[in-house]
Amino acid sequence: VSLQRLKAAVHYTVGCLCEDVAEDKAMQFSKQSIAAISEVTFRQCETFAKDLEMFARHAKRSTVTTEDVKLLARRSSSLLKYITQKSEELAASNMEQKEKKKKKSGAAKGRRISEEQEAAVTESEDSNMA
Amino acid sequence: ERRSSSLQHKSLFSCVTGQKQPQHHEKWSLSPEEFEIWDRVYRIKEGDGVKEPVLPRSQFETLENLEEVPKQQEEARQELSLSEWSIWQNHPLPTSTVDHSDRCYHFIGIMELIELLRHEQGDCSYDLEMQPHLQTEDVHVRRKKSHLATSSSL
Repeated sequence: VSLQRLKAAVHYTVGCLCEDVAEDKAMQFSKQSIAAISEVTFRQCETFAKDLEMFARHAKRSTVTTEDVKLLARRSSSLLKYITQKSEELAASNMEQKEKKKKKSGAAKGRRISEEQEAAVTESEDSNMA
Repeated sequence: ERRSSSLQHKSLFSCVTGQKQPQHHEKWSLSPEEFEIWDRVYRIKEGDGVKEPVLPRSQFETLENLEEVPKQQEEARQELSLSEWSIWQNHPLPTSTVDHSDRCYHFIGIMELIELLRHEQGDCSYDLEMQPHLQTEDVHVRRKKSHLATSSSL
């Protein structure tokens, strides 16, 4: 995947989010300000990625966990509270999905079905994130 | 600025580390001699015509704010601004012993970009540059809601 393609995807999504804010606050964003926010977001991803990798390594892990993500929010107690709350919500809904999956795959055997369920779970996880 | 008082700093430092008052070394607080120097040379007093410098507090527009902003007399305080000299921020400023970080270079890069975009009218060059690279599978495509420029190409 090219950098430009990633940037374009970030730019599109930032545009959508700014549109929501614009509607909510009844104010307009210039295209240039959306471009600047996109570039900030894109570059901030690099900072986040490097920090997350270091936090995980500091805890002798090679997998980044939600605890590492919370460290990104450590400077503001408001932000930390929000992230922690979201993390708990996600953990709870993941547990719920796993329970459901267990029950279903217990009843219906066969690879295809469980694969479809996997896809369904991932999809609902995605919508939770959004 | 800190460097301007570095000479005085040095004399204070030698006061602290020098052999003169070893009995005060273990204490966290200033010795009477150090307090006298601080009071005379560094402390901001009412008659100085200088406002007490304070750093801006972080506030989130989109979140509930937990940190309480202490109510203090505004006139006696000078909030240090991080945006007043923004037109100076599109190139790296000199360093002494601490290099610029990646994060700092990102900031400089963005200030450069903003400087380029500042003079544009209507069409945005960044927008035009990105459009051909967008792949719809990378994003949550939404139905068009408003006439905002970024969604017009999709």
